[in-house]
Amino acid sequence: MVSCFEKKQYSERGNCDCFHFGVFMDSRIGHAAYEPAIYSIHSISDLTPHEKLFRIEIPDAVDFRHEPGQFVQLSVWGWGEAPISISNSPTRKGYLEFAIRHAGSLTGALHQMRPGSKIGLRGPFGNGFDVNRLRSQNLLLIAGGCGLAPLRSLIQYCEDCRDEFMDIRILYGAKTPHDLLYKSDLAAWMESETFDCRIIVDFVAPNHGYSGKIGLLPELIPPLEVEAENTTAVLVGPPMMYPFVVEALRKKGLDDERIMVSLERHMKCGIGKCGHCAIDHFSCCIDGPVFLLRDLQGTEWAG
Amino acid sequence: MKTITCDQFHHFLYSIREDFEIVGPVILHDGTLSLGRLTAEPLALFAGRIPFRFTSLFFPHSERLFAMSDEYRFDKSGSSAKPLLVVGWRAEDLEALEFIDEFFRTGFRDDVFCDRRQSSVVIGVSGRCGVNGEFCRISEGKCDMELIYDGKHFIMAEYTENGRFLSEKIVWGEETDSLEALLQESRALRTPEREILQTASQLLMRNQVDDDFWAEIADRCIQCTSCTNVCPTCTCFDVYDMRLKRKIERYRMWDSCQMSGFMREASGHNPLASQSDRTRRRIRHKLVDDLHRWGRMTCFLCGRCDDVCPTGIGMKAVAAEIVERFG
Amino acid sequence: MKKTLTTCPFCATGCMYYLQSDHDKFVGIEPSTVHSIAKGHPCVKGWNAFQFIHHPDRLTTPLIRKNGVLEAAGWEEALDLVVHTLPSLQARYGHDSIMFFSSARTTNEENYLFMKLARAVFKTNNVDHCARLCHSSSVLGLAATFGSGAMSNSISCVDEADTFFVIGSNTTENHPQIGARILQSVKRGAKLIVADSRTIRLAKAATLHLRHRNGSDVALINGMMHVIIRDGLENREFIESRTQNYEQLKNTVLRYPPSIVAEITGLTPQEIIDAAHLYATSPAAMIIYSVGITQHTHGVDNVRSLANLAMLTGHVGRPGTGVNPLRGQNNVQGACDMGALPNVFSGYQKVADEAVRQKFVNEWRVADLPAHAGLPMTRALNAAERGEIKGLYIVGEDPVISDPDQGHVRNALQQLDFLVVQDIFLTATAEYADVVLPAACFAEKDGTFTSTERRIQRVRKAALPIGGARADWEIFCEIASRAGYKYMHYNAPSEIMDEIARVTPIYGGISYSRIDQIGLQWPCLDEHHPGTPILHVGRFVGGMGCFCPAEYRPPAETPDAEYPFILTTGRSYFHYHTGSMTRRTRLLEREENRSYVEINPVDAHRLGIRDRDFVMVATRRGEIVMSARMTKDITPGVLFITFHFEESPGNLLTNNALDPESHIPEYKVCAARITRKP
Ligand SMILES: Cc1cc2nc3c(=O)[nH]c(=O)nc-3n(C[C@H](O)[C@H](O)[C@H](O)COP(=O)(O)OP(=O)(O)OC[C@H]3O[C@@H](n4cnc5c(N)ncnc54)[C@H](O)[C@@H]3O)c2cc1C
Ligand code: SF4
Ligand code: SF4
Ligand code: FES
Repeated sequence: MVSCFEKKQYSERGNCDCFHFGVFMDSRIGHAAYEPAIYSIHSISDLTPHEKLFRIEIPDAVDFRHEPGQFVQLSVWGWGEAPISISNSPTRKGYLEFAIRHAGSLTGALHQMRPGSKIGLRGPFGNGFDVNRLRSQNLLLIAGGCGLAPLRSLIQYCEDCRDEFMDIRILYGAKTPHDLLYKSDLAAWMESETFDCRIIVDFVAPNHGYSGKIGLLPELIPPLEVEAENTTAVLVGPPMMYPFVVEALRKKGLDDERIMVSLERHMKCGIGKCGHCAIDHFSCCIDGPVFLLRDLQGTEWAG
Repeated sequence: MKTITCDQFHHFLYSIREDFEIVGPVILHDGTLSLGRLTAEPLALFAGRIPFRFTSLFFPHSERLFAMSDEYRFDKSGSSAKPLLVVGWRAEDLEALEFIDEFFRTGFRDDVFCDRRQSSVVIGVSGRCGVNGEFCRISEGKCDMELIYDGKHFIMAEYTENGRFLSEKIVWGEETDSLEALLQESRALRTPEREILQTASQLLMRNQVDDDFWAEIADRCIQCTSCTNVCPTCTCFDVYDMRLKRKIERYRMWDSCQMSGFMREASGHNPLASQSDRTRRRIRHKLVDDLHRWGRMTCFLCGRCDDVCPTGIGMKAVAAEIVERFG
Repeated sequence: MKKTLTTCPFCATGCMYYLQSDHDKFVGIEPSTVHSIAKGHPCVKGWNAFQFIHHPDRLTTPLIRKNGVLEAAGWEEALDLVVHTLPSLQARYGHDSIMFFSSARTTNEENYLFMKLARAVFKTNNVDHCARLCHSSSVLGLAATFGSGAMSNSISCVDEADTFFVIGSNTTENHPQIGARILQSVKRGAKLIVADSRTIRLAKAATLHLRHRNGSDVALINGMMHVIIRDGLENREFIESRTQNYEQLKNTVLRYPPSIVAEITGLTPQEIIDAAHLYATSPAAMIIYSVGITQHTHGVDNVRSLANLAMLTGHVGRPGTGVNPLRGQNNVQGACDMGALPNVFSGYQKVADEAVRQKFVNEWRVADLPAHAGLPMTRALNAAERGEIKGLYIVGEDPVISDPDQGHVRNALQQLDFLVVQDIFLTATAEYADVVLPAACFAEKDGTFTSTERRIQRVRKAALPIGGARADWEIFCEIASRAGYKYMHYNAPSEIMDEIARVTPIYGGISYSRIDQIGLQWPCLDEHHPGTPILHVGRFVGGMGCFCPAEYRPPAETPDAEYPFILTTGRSYFHYHTGSMTRRTRLLEREENRSYVEINPVDAHRLGIRDRDFVMVATRRGEIVMSARMTKDITPGVLFITFHFEESPGNLLTNNALDPESHIPEYKVCAARITRKP
């Protein structure tokens, strides 16, 4: 009897229009929805006293493709899973880099790990930065604190595909000079002709060798000359930063179609099911984390 | 269409017990109505709505996603060998089921839910099957087969291949075509509550409900999480690991947006920091946000949250209050 | 898919629900919609009560300390050690050199057996349990006035009251189902007086919120009685026909006019008058209190004063009235009923009473039983510190976290020659143990719990105990028989209940068959007795009600220049006591995972403290670091902390000053200092 019983056919992919990166589903690592693929940590290095850089090598056999700004769900066995941004550009193949802050139990356990330790990965998830929208634009890439982790993937992308964009300015703020992520990358970007890269820190301990600007990130914006009609700003940082930076950008004449924000939410599944990342009718994990400010109008995004 | 008596239907169920895991309304030890396996007792098909979240059959309170051994080998929780046959859900229940089916398979397919759901057959019950013989709306197609009670018999309406397959196995019963009258009665049922819900939804959409209202409702919420735990369309879950001796197990379990930890991030930032934010979300999510995202409100007025809320602020109660104050 | 009807292991509200298990794994909770209290909605702790059962930290084998470390051992070896060591200590230091701490977490049957073990087998009345720390003041205070120390009315009475006087109880957090019912009653028009220095959730719905100074309860209540008598609102008929000692009360409260009380309590005279009028003029007024009343050096006085107030106005013995102590632990009522107390057998039958002793001598078939009362647990720890108590057997309790002045407790435990801890997790206390016995938890055994409304309800075995754990009652029986006592053998807990019913008049009519679906409320005298939803109807349990006036005494420790704040303690809704269960429950631990101190923004600004800053809170007994939580809900000058968190244990700070009669420690008030952690 059971043999005649028909299993319902459910389509593998649904019809949700917010799902424009569905094409990458085929290259997802981890096949069942919640089962991670196992990877060894290739190397670990210190970025700041609280942040470390983790590198994973992707074998050639794995067809892994991602967009700048996407994230993975990273498993630390016994501690659960956390969303972590991919910090390198898809143009730099064969590996993935994650800059991870010691924020709690899972990230704490991760910080204890050594090269060779096994972690789990699912992903990539999220929409990433809409590169099509950024092409042929002047870019204002603005990051606060940990926000440089996802933004670096876009910066590297811009570096590797420099011709696709017009002027690129990078504004980065951190609490103290110690807390600056990717110090050597920053030095290189400041040196290079490719970018105009400016840095600011909230405060500096006495006798610290730092000679750069001191103040809050939004203070970097007013002095800039901005051609509002062909500039797009990309913001990644802590929630408290957004209102001030957005305000400063609006003063420069950027409307909400020209401001792109990447939002952080508590995430458990990364695939639009668990409900933790909801921003009104959006699920930050599949509709975001990157949004045009225009699309967020009327929602509680800044809450 | 065939008619069949309740006894005959049970005979039929017993006859297919080897092939299906049969689940339906049963009375538990102290009289609580619930879902359970078919035993020697007949199913409580006329005992009213099952108060608990019936979708827990497919999306249980907690479940293991996988176990992983020391050697990094996965062991997925074994699914039961037999297909599931579920009997006794009402039209509102079936609408809720239809929604969560869509929810779990759209976009990324939730294989844990879908695999379990796929190998199941659902038989709805409607017609004059209320506790006191009241008329229960006919779902007209949101299940594999519907048993429509006319006061004496079930009229069997088959909606899918699986439904027809089952129906063919039933050797009893007579052909009938008397469904039309029942259908008309069903369609004529007035649903004033739906109108209230729609009005509330519009008021919310137009931002006509002020913050004070939410603060007032929120002061009454004791955060028991009963409402979100019994709601058939609440799908939020938490994922966590258990560290055992030689393996780890990853589980998921129901979560509740009424808890402040639900959205709190490691940084301490919390989009739902106050209870009034959370109460607002509980109502808005179903009446506004899901309307945007899924094209329909996802409260099907089953009334479970209103029944369990210890302080009287379930969906229907809050919607009615919104309409009364701001309508 | 198995569903087992059982009673919630957390608070004494006593909700029942079904534990869902699948192949002996616990997978969820399904509420009973029929149960008179739960009505389909457990609180958040109840909804999550299945998770800790199979937590990997569960103890699964006995442990014995060898060369200073606890090592896994067999049951044989562990039980032999217990059975040999305890009597040998008694032989050397006297019968009363050992002490038994029973557990309000375990079943009635187990409490009964444990006190039987102490009394019949080890011949000592040194048996007590944590009611000492929560409601010993109620037991004494209400026994003196009403003749019975339990909640006078039923939870369902909340639906019938017109006015509530809630004092010293954060009901919505600690007895959520009762708190919710109060909110519902207020919605339908009942009046609510909340006396609490914090703006608790109930206070937001209150008709009158009295933020009286912590520890000034007696003054407040005396003041209310003063106004009631002054304005002629007392219930003359009730006073005359049902009480005695009225004149004495009148003389005492005469000295508490609103003007003086206002000064002591920090309230306005009008607030006191309003509260008195509201309470006295209502047709049915219900007093609800909890450990905010009892845990003071004047705890018994507080309770007596509340009883006086109720008698003065005749709000006793009717639906919707009464004096209602809300008990904390799931089975603290039962543990008291079962005589896990140093001075009484089960059913509050005094050990000093010759006839009572003879009854137990006969039932238990022993030669004699000790006649003098044993030590209360707070005194026992002091005695241990002095080296007078040598052996201690603790069941299901974690005094290191739950008792006041942690330094003192640790020191006392260290002084012991022999410590047995029987628990489901390796608690902070178990780390001092010489023998640790792994017990079955509520889901792994049969038995009964008695809820705060005196309702005896079934607990059912839904799965076998994890690993090598055993039910507490089986362990006790095994110890008794190894110690050579023959009359502690039962095939099932129902047989223990039958014995309890034989020797305990108030449980006389209880049997498993009668409480199969819904429990009965004691007194239930024989097998036809329907149980007693409301006590003192028409007649007090003790005959006449007796007014016991009390004078205001300040707390043992009051703020001064060095320690300028009042520190008060309590629970968070999401955690249960020492947190051994709730902190191993995913959603509850996520909700609140570290200790915090509530402080008013005014104080915080003055001290340069911001929300979530790390701060140091210090008292004369110690200091702990925790994060600050700014809230206007707390009055300036007061700090509030919880005691769930082992990492920064609130009870390192609290004062072990005891009430002279009930020996309850003053958890609710001590002097403290707070500074921002650099
Ligand atoms: C799309 C996305 C991308 C991300 N990318 C990155 C990235 O690239 N790099 C990165 O480092 N992070 C990233 N994050 C953040 C990262 O996911 C979190 O830091 C991580 O989940 C923390 O997990 P945990 O288990 O370590 O912390 P948990 O243990 O879950 O966090 C708890 C932390 O919060 C504190 N806390 C808990 N409760 C309270 C309370 N009541 N009050 C105050 N504090 C409390 C705890 O003390 C603890 O420090 C990203 C997040 C998202 C959503
Ligand atoms: S059932 Fe009611 S009290 Fe409980 S969480 Fe829901 S709204 Fe709050
Ligand atoms: S903790 Fe108390 S109120 Fe909550 S479910 Fe358990 S018994 Fe009921
Ligand atoms: S992370 Fe689960 S829905 Fe977005």
